[in-house]
Amino acid sequence: MAARIKPPRMRIPRKIKKDDIFKVKVRFEHPSFTGLGMVDTETMPTFNRAVPVTFIRNMLVYYGEELVTRFSMTSAIADDPMFTFKLKAVREEPVTVAFINNEGERWEVSADIKFTA
Amino acid sequence: MSSYDNLSTKLAGYMRRVFLVLPLLFVLAIAATGGNALAALTVEKFEIEGLISPASPKALSEALEKQLQVKVVDLNLKNSSSGWPLLSVEFDSDQLTRDVIEQTIASIEDPAGHTYRVHQGPAVISAPFTDEEKAAMAALGPAPPNVQALTNPIESTGASIARGKEHYDKYCTTCHGLQGDGNGPAAHGITIFPRQLWVWNNTDSSVDGYLFWMITEGRSDMPPWGVILLENQRWDVINYIKTLTKPE
Repeated sequence: MAARIKPPRMRIPRKIKKDDIFKVKVRFEHPSFTGLGMVDTETMPTFNRAVPVTFIRNMLVYYGEELVTRFSMTSAIADDPMFTFKLKAVREEPVTVAFINNEGERWEVSADIKFTA
Repeated sequence: MSSYDNLSTKLAGYMRRVFLVLPLLFVLAIAATGGNALAALTVEKFEIEGLISPASPKALSEALEKQLQVKVVDLNLKNSSSGWPLLSVEFDSDQLTRDVIEQTIASIEDPAGHTYRVHQGPAVISAPFTDEEKAAMAALGPAPPNVQALTNPIESTGASIARGKEHYDKYCTTCHGLQGDGNGPAAHGITIFPRQLWVWNNTDSSVDGYLFWMITEGRSDMPPWGVILLENQRWDVINYIKTLTKPE
């Protein structure tokens, strides 16, 4: 479990040529709990609520102003997940990834795409 | 001296002794109960977060009784209405307040090093979708493409509703509850509470396609009932769902 939530980080290749397909890696240190814990382990083991449910609900990816994809998640997502996806470098604009958790809180990370010769 | 005077003198003597002894008895009674006779005992309930290891409940009760002058009356782990474990504590309301007990609970660590907390607010925090999320869902398609504009081929007769109820009671009540209020016995074990089905009460045929698709394909924790129920059975269930009314 992540002790606390940290701002997301993004990594893209240093050299990107126009029309390259490049990988974007995003790491977000955010805890994920189903909220359930096991009680009465001796007689009738059952699950009950133990901690508040916490998970990243949506990840939105923007290329410039355009929304290019949305990742919809549940509490099955891992603690501190890392996402990898591919994009085609069609224009020199920033790639922005926004995270929204089940409490409606929002985080964002961005990186500029600059073409190399 | 008359006999009447003698009697009144004796009575006055008895009364004096009684008045002398009564306070003494009162003090002895208080001492015998450890001061509790004057205490304003009250029982309050706390929803507890953090009971995640098997040793947690006992550790919490023992530490709380050790740190404060309280008695843990009950710790209901799995039958509370909200799903959160419910701790009942008896304490003297002249000496302690609920806030002090909540702070003490928050300061206790369980054997694995986790802390407890008194739960505040709703059972599950699930904030409504933000405008940005709604826009994203609209841009990328909110509804799956295979939701077709179907119309229920089976008329909503008494026989169909009765058949639908039979299937509903067998397959759906575990999560959605007998009255369709989303509070069936298994609902507490699911991250997202099952839908309240009475919202479909008396809806028209425009929702048939969606309901049929949802029952057939399932979503999240709901299994695809298309592999269990025949097509006409699913339509019977839809007819029954539309008769469910909001519980009082």
